[in-house]
Amino acid sequence: MPVAASAIYFLNLRGDVLINRLYRDDVGGNMVDAFRMHIMQTKELGTCPVRQIGGCSFFYMRISNVYIVIVVSSNANVACAFKFVVEAVALFKSYFGGAFDEDAIRNNFVLIYELLDEIMDFGYPQNLSPEILKLYITQEGVRSPFSSKPSDKPVQNATLQVTGAVGWRREGLVYKKNEVFLDIVESVNLLMSSKGSVLRCDVTGKILMKCFLSGMPDLKLGLNDKIGLEKESQLKSRPPKSGKTIELDDVTFHQCVNLTRFNSEKTVSFVPPDGEFELMKYRITEGVNLPFRVLPTIKELGRTRMEVNVKVKSVFGAKMFALGVVIKIPVPKQTAKTSFQVTSGRAKYQAAIDCLVWKIRKFPGQTEPTLSAEVELISTMAEKKSWTRPPIQMEFQVPMFTASGLRVRFLKVWEKSGYNTVEWVRYITKAGSYEIRC
Amino acid sequence: MAPPAQSQRSPSPSQPSGKSEVSDLKLQLRQLAGSRAPGVDDSKRELFKKVISYMTIGIDVSSLFGEMVMCSATSDIVLKKMCYLYVGNYAKVNPDLALLTINFLQRDCRDEDPMIRGLALRSLCSLRVANLVEYLVGPLGSGLKDSNSYVRMVAVMGVLKLYHISASTCIDADFPSILKHLMLHDSDTQVVANCLSALQEIWSAEASTSEEASREREALISKPFIYYLLNRIKEFCEWAQCLVLELVTKYVPSDSSEIFDIMNLLEDRLQHANGAVVLATIRVFLQLTLSMTDVHQQVYERIKAPLLTLVSSGSPEQSYAVLSHLHLLVMRAPYVFSSDYKHFYCQYNEPSYVKRLKLEMLTAVANESNTYEIVTELCEYAANVDIPIARESIRAVGKIALQQYDVNAIVDRLLQFLEMEKDYVTAEALVLVKDLLRKYPQWSHDCIAVVGNISSKNVQEPKAKAALIWMLGEYSQDMQDAPYVLESLVENWDEEHSAEVRLHLLTAMMKCFFKRPPETQSALGAALAAGIADFHQDVHDRALFYYRILRYNVSVAERVVNPPKQAVSVFADTQSSEIKDRIFDEFNSLSVLYQKPSYMFTDKEHRGPLEFADELGNLSIGEAANNVVPTQMVEENDKDLLLTTSEKEETKGSRNNGSAYSVPYDGSSTSVFASQTQIESAVSNPTLAGHSPQASFAIDDLLGLGIPAAPAVLSPPQLKLNTKAALDPSTFQQKWRQLPVALSQEISVSPQGVAALTAPQALLRHMQSHSIHCIASGGQSPNFKFFFFAQKFEESSNYLVECVINTSSAKAQVKIKADDQNTSQDFSTLFESALSKFGTS
Repeated sequence: MPVAASAIYFLNLRGDVLINRLYRDDVGGNMVDAFRMHIMQTKELGTCPVRQIGGCSFFYMRISNVYIVIVVSSNANVACAFKFVVEAVALFKSYFGGAFDEDAIRNNFVLIYELLDEIMDFGYPQNLSPEILKLYITQEGVRSPFSSKPSDKPVQNATLQVTGAVGWRREGLVYKKNEVFLDIVESVNLLMSSKGSVLRCDVTGKILMKCFLSGMPDLKLGLNDKIGLEKESQLKSRPPKSGKTIELDDVTFHQCVNLTRFNSEKTVSFVPPDGEFELMKYRITEGVNLPFRVLPTIKELGRTRMEVNVKVKSVFGAKMFALGVVIKIPVPKQTAKTSFQVTSGRAKYQAAIDCLVWKIRKFPGQTEPTLSAEVELISTMAEKKSWTRPPIQMEFQVPMFTASGLRVRFLKVWEKSGYNTVEWVRYITKAGSYEIRC
Repeated sequence: MAPPAQSQRSPSPSQPSGKSEVSDLKLQLRQLAGSRAPGVDDSKRELFKKVISYMTIGIDVSSLFGEMVMCSATSDIVLKKMCYLYVGNYAKVNPDLALLTINFLQRDCRDEDPMIRGLALRSLCSLRVANLVEYLVGPLGSGLKDSNSYVRMVAVMGVLKLYHISASTCIDADFPSILKHLMLHDSDTQVVANCLSALQEIWSAEASTSEEASREREALISKPFIYYLLNRIKEFCEWAQCLVLELVTKYVPSDSSEIFDIMNLLEDRLQHANGAVVLATIRVFLQLTLSMTDVHQQVYERIKAPLLTLVSSGSPEQSYAVLSHLHLLVMRAPYVFSSDYKHFYCQYNEPSYVKRLKLEMLTAVANESNTYEIVTELCEYAANVDIPIARESIRAVGKIALQQYDVNAIVDRLLQFLEMEKDYVTAEALVLVKDLLRKYPQWSHDCIAVVGNISSKNVQEPKAKAALIWMLGEYSQDMQDAPYVLESLVENWDEEHSAEVRLHLLTAMMKCFFKRPPETQSALGAALAAGIADFHQDVHDRALFYYRILRYNVSVAERVVNPPKQAVSVFADTQSSEIKDRIFDEFNSLSVLYQKPSYMFTDKEHRGPLEFADELGNLSIGEAANNVVPTQMVEENDKDLLLTTSEKEETKGSRNNGSAYSVPYDGSSTSVFASQTQIESAVSNPTLAGHSPQASFAIDDLLGLGIPAAPAVLSPPQLKLNTKAALDPSTFQQKWRQLPVALSQEISVSPQGVAALTAPQALLRHMQSHSIHCIASGGQSPNFKFFFFAQKFEESSNYLVECVINTSSAKAQVKIKADDQNTSQDFSTLFESALSKFGTS
């Protein structure tokens, strides 16, 4: 059985129960105490998200300032359980409209109980799709879709219609202006050695969509990925800008994508859900364009002084710029005094994280600002251990740039009424874990 | 009507003051119950919310039951839901009050709104009160036939809930066959999926008693049904897909073309956004191709990319769950992943549970082509702030070295670690260098030069210190000042807290002495003297043993203590391949995360003994005994392998023959094992060794176990015991507390028995051969304490025994508790006769 969860708990950081829902009797009622005693109040917290206490296994996840704990008594499917928690949180967020934290839970706990009843029955996950649940669990809650005119419409259950219709989309949607928004969001993960060689680098990307389309539209998306392009080589189409094709290592799709058609024709075609959703995820390891290069030189001069020089080079087009660039340069714990010179942005020493934090709000392409700092250390006799240098970490966002070079070639919308649509496409590249050893 | 005054009170439900608040609520609810004023629903909602929030934080609001039920007559669906939730929570503790709710729930089950019907039915089935089940059958029956799929979906789960409350009611109402019909014919896939979950549970539970159920369970994995599900798989929701895929893993296709058909059909599931579906699909692929080696390899190649994607996306917890599975696959087929090693590099901020798995994978995939990069990367981690991870990574370097890839360069790295001047790095590196030398003695020259420079004062950890001392002893001829270093360690004997280090020091002194006698002799004398005076039994024993054997003959001593060693070629693997295979069979479950097969953590008897040993900590006078016994029990239970054939024969024999204990016992393997421990303890125990006649007598006796029993001392009683009785420690403890003492007596122990009782284990084995099992033991000569248990043959009636044996007075104090008091006398006779044979034949 995939999960058969016996209970689910929501706890705050102190261990107070915010929500508890027992689904089965095979675990005792004091499971929360066991969790508090053996995990929350010990060093065990955070050492492993799956733990066994007594005869029960606890899967727990921290989401902002809340722990969500699933208790099972059998040999359950962990991946399924964690996925369930993640999906449930996404569902709650779509109901609360944004944040999921202790306050949101306290303010909406009745709603959460309602939802928990619907999304899991006797420990088995049921329908978690927000589009469907919102049909009969309304935030106002006063109205059930049936109470007014019982014979009017049946429950729009996700799987009710077998007549070829789709479960994730309601029929009869009407928009005045038909719009599609598509965002390609990539995060670059990098691990670079102190000598400047790339140890590991990959891009995980996702395509997010927001659809406000009437009726039952059929969408088709073309990307400049290698397989898709080879497939339609007879059309002699060349990718417009980058001039190269992208090899996707692996792709996963939202359930709305017709996978059979993807496998045979290599095109992404789908009937989208209404509103916001994640169309696909992909991963790329080859041919990644790194947006930034970091060249650090850190010299330890004797035992009480350090010299830090960091040069950051932006390697994307000169017309583009990065936003919110933060470079965290680690310094030893016993740092006493620092002085800086930066050619751009602002820097300061943050003792709480033992880092020099250099922020550049707007960072144009093809530039290379530098930071040079002098760090004075408190001399301690006991501290003879050499300093373990943690890596330099970077945060950034580069709009209209994709590290993989992926581009949307076309996004076509067909609907039987033949309306016109407006398509918006954006690109953004963010830093995932961008680490440079020094 | 004015809204109740609760608005003035603190709106936060988190700090209630307790009782007064509850009685306040009661009053307000009562006022509202009969009211029909407009807006009353809103005030009710506020009150219900309060009640629910109190309930959530654990305040007992069950006293409001009556009022809540009264207020539940409403058309407001949210109010209803809150009320259902409340009722579901407290019905179990208030079965009488729960009866009150039946009425309105049953009425709601006939509501015209399918939503209300469904909700009411769900709550009705969640009451979990056994004497109300009769009210469930009717609504469930009509729920299953409801025209609305929402109600049917709820009803199906309701049947499963009913089964858990009262299996017989559920079976008698013939619900399983209705579910079966629904499963095959319902148009709604969620109904089908719920039927599948419910039937799987019901039939698995029934299969042991009902043949029909086990047939039905088999039918679930028959070809037509599996195909029926597979062809519709895309219509199922993602969770139901997991369920179906899980079922498919149990299906055995008839030929390879069928296998390929299924895999082709499921291939696109690998691109599903839900990681759980992907993992379930992977499991199907792996299981289907187990017998086809080539295809199995291709499957590995195919699933690599989706797995790596799953690892790199999602929260750390999710990626940990996937990483554990990847870890399992990497361990099974490292070569498939050897080119992907960069994916296993650790990120600085990753949680340590992820890093640990990655380190193990890096170790596993190392081969000729990537060792250099991997070791370089691992060396980076050695300077990590997270010290446990730094240690792990040093160990990983060592493991790679032991795998013999590129050893030359790695040895240099390890030696660099020794010079890093960080305590834990030095410590780990020392242990590794020691292991490395055991495998590649040819490196001794390079290593010794570096090791010799390490001052023993800078090494504090026992393991590392022991390693250093071992090297000093083993290579004392190459290390100029080895005798003097050892000597200084001997001088600080009293400051050395770890017995392990002291033991190693003794052995190292001996080895050093054989190589450089003149320099070592006086220090050895001091070491032996200190060792013999040591309070730790093992150290004392070893020192005395060395002393005696040296006195006997020095060259013999050298042959014993320092024989020429063969290089170790393979270090023992920690997990048997059999266990690994069983974990693999349980792919996509907790087993993979715990890295042990499910029976080890779901069956109580397997995880029990260790916990019990902890609780009985006060008994652990001889810690060794207490630790050894439970683990042995675990092993025996675990594998069923240690149960030798002879023991099984004995089981049969005891069933054929009249009495369990008088059967000629040919437990050769067991008795040899027992006598070995006996010899060991006899040799190492100086007091016994001194009384050689007695000791040898004991050995003879134990070996004599194989000889058919002499005429029994006591006439065989009529009681038969179950030879494979099982009782988990917590039950034991519970029973021990509950049951009265049925019998308490003093039994004399024969002198032979006393002589044989040098360690608790000896008696345990003896008693086990009489179907009396030990659950905990402890003690040292002259006082031993045992807890035994036995079960009546083919009955679950238990006997519990506390037995305290004093070897100096040769008396045993026995306390017996029994489930069945009438037979306790018989059992006592049996126990006494079994004990009296200990040490005799």
